[in-house]
Amino acid sequence: MDPALRAAATGMMAQQTRTQVIANNLANVNTPGFKRSRAQFEDLLYQTVQGTQVLGTTDAFTNPAIQVGRGTRLSAVQRMHMQGAIDQTGRNLDVAIEGEGFFQVQMNNGDVAYTRDGSFGISDQGLLTTSNGAGLMPSIRIPDDVSEITIGATGIVSVRRGNEVEPTEVGRIELARFVNPSGMLSLGQNLYAPTAASGIPSIGFPSEEGMGRLQQGSLEASNVEIVQEMVEMITAMRAYEINSKAIKTSDEMGQIANNLTR
Amino acid sequence: MTSAAASLAMLERRQQVLANNLANVNTSGFKRDMVFAQLVGDAVAATSTRVDLSAGTVSESSNPLDLAMEGDGFFVVGTEQGERHVRGGNFRLDADGRIVDHSGNALLAESGELTIPLKSAGAITIDGTGMVSTDGRALGRLRVERVAAGANPQHEGGVRFLPDASREPVPPMDRRVKQGFIEESNVNPMEAMTSMLQVLHRFGAAQKTISTLDAVRGIAVNDLGKPV
Repeated sequence: MDPALRAAATGMMAQQTRTQVIANNLANVNTPGFKRSRAQFEDLLYQTVQGTQVLGTTDAFTNPAIQVGRGTRLSAVQRMHMQGAIDQTGRNLDVAIEGEGFFQVQMNNGDVAYTRDGSFGISDQGLLTTSNGAGLMPSIRIPDDVSEITIGATGIVSVRRGNEVEPTEVGRIELARFVNPSGMLSLGQNLYAPTAASGIPSIGFPSEEGMGRLQQGSLEASNVEIVQEMVEMITAMRAYEINSKAIKTSDEMGQIANNLTR
Repeated sequence: MTSAAASLAMLERRQQVLANNLANVNTSGFKRDMVFAQLVGDAVAATSTRVDLSAGTVSESSNPLDLAMEGDGFFVVGTEQGERHVRGGNFRLDADGRIVDHSGNALLAESGELTIPLKSAGAITIDGTGMVSTDGRALGRLRVERVAAGANPQHEGGVRFLPDASREPVPPMDRRVKQGFIEESNVNPMEAMTSMLQVLHRFGAAQKTISTLDAVRGIAVNDLGKPV
């Protein structure tokens, strides 16, 4: 009875992990630029036992082998880099990427990280930063006496100073894209770091060479869909329940077997 | 009594297989096992398991490296122990740009392992015939093989199967590879639950048979010999 109990237990553990991933997705349903994750499972090794064979028969159909699987295990938690909805916010430093690409930011330790969260602010030195204070790369300085900031679809940042009529260009936002964004390492705070699996970033201007275009006054919403997560949660719960029933059944069978001796 | 005991053993085996099926109710690309029992002499015994190769529900996932297949067929991955069949699932790129499964086994194309240039800017597209291209440039066609109807491929774990001897390539025209889709497990929880209940009740019945036979023998041994 042991293999059945253990296989069912692995099933329960798998559904528990899946629920944790779903809970994290749901918690980030309002995080701009958030990408949902998905838990993936695979079956464990199989034990092959010799089946009972009818002596003297040459039944080709009956391959006298019984394969008993040992359950399931988590194989990966994969991040799904699908486009989130573009929400109009009206704030002129909110920038959404429509299409592929990441903003490049410099973290406090000097490393470069990548993000889809374009809710920018201006630091005390006048530099464009993300909402958690990491500076945009290449750095763009916004002068003090600015009355209007415009960020174009191609990334050109222009400002109108004081009473000037003509805008002046102060910099251009560059995007980085990866052949395999799912392979990136999540650093928290909406930041990602490249890994060997994500590939080397190819850097370019927005709206060029397959890069997404920028949209000022908007933010990319989280790509978590509540309905989908809820459905996943229900199926995870039912699968958890069903595996607990398998444990219960196996236990009852053990009890029945124990009752053989009076 | 031996035949009742044999049926207990058979039902126990059946429960083990059912528990594994249920544990893998959410494992994409998983195929359930069925236990077959046969009368051997006077007793019923579990003789073999067979893989049910029927298709699971194919659902959209939008992930470019999720591959599913309509109709029969397997993708081929290269492991250290040789080639293995997988029924789609989700793949990823490794550090060398190969398309690999979760255990790092490369998905094989007709020309061998495919390497996606990690510097390439374009998205990876895989068409219905399994042709992999990036930036509009074809890199190679994935191998798709099928096994004869009635074949019983053996599980290896990691949702891989040992290729059956009857394997043969599927011509590109007959393939329906779907990119951005994933095939769910073909375990039907309702059916598995009903089978499990059935197992439980039969198990109880077989145990009662043994107890009853035992009681009968007890009478024979203890009461018949008693002087009246």
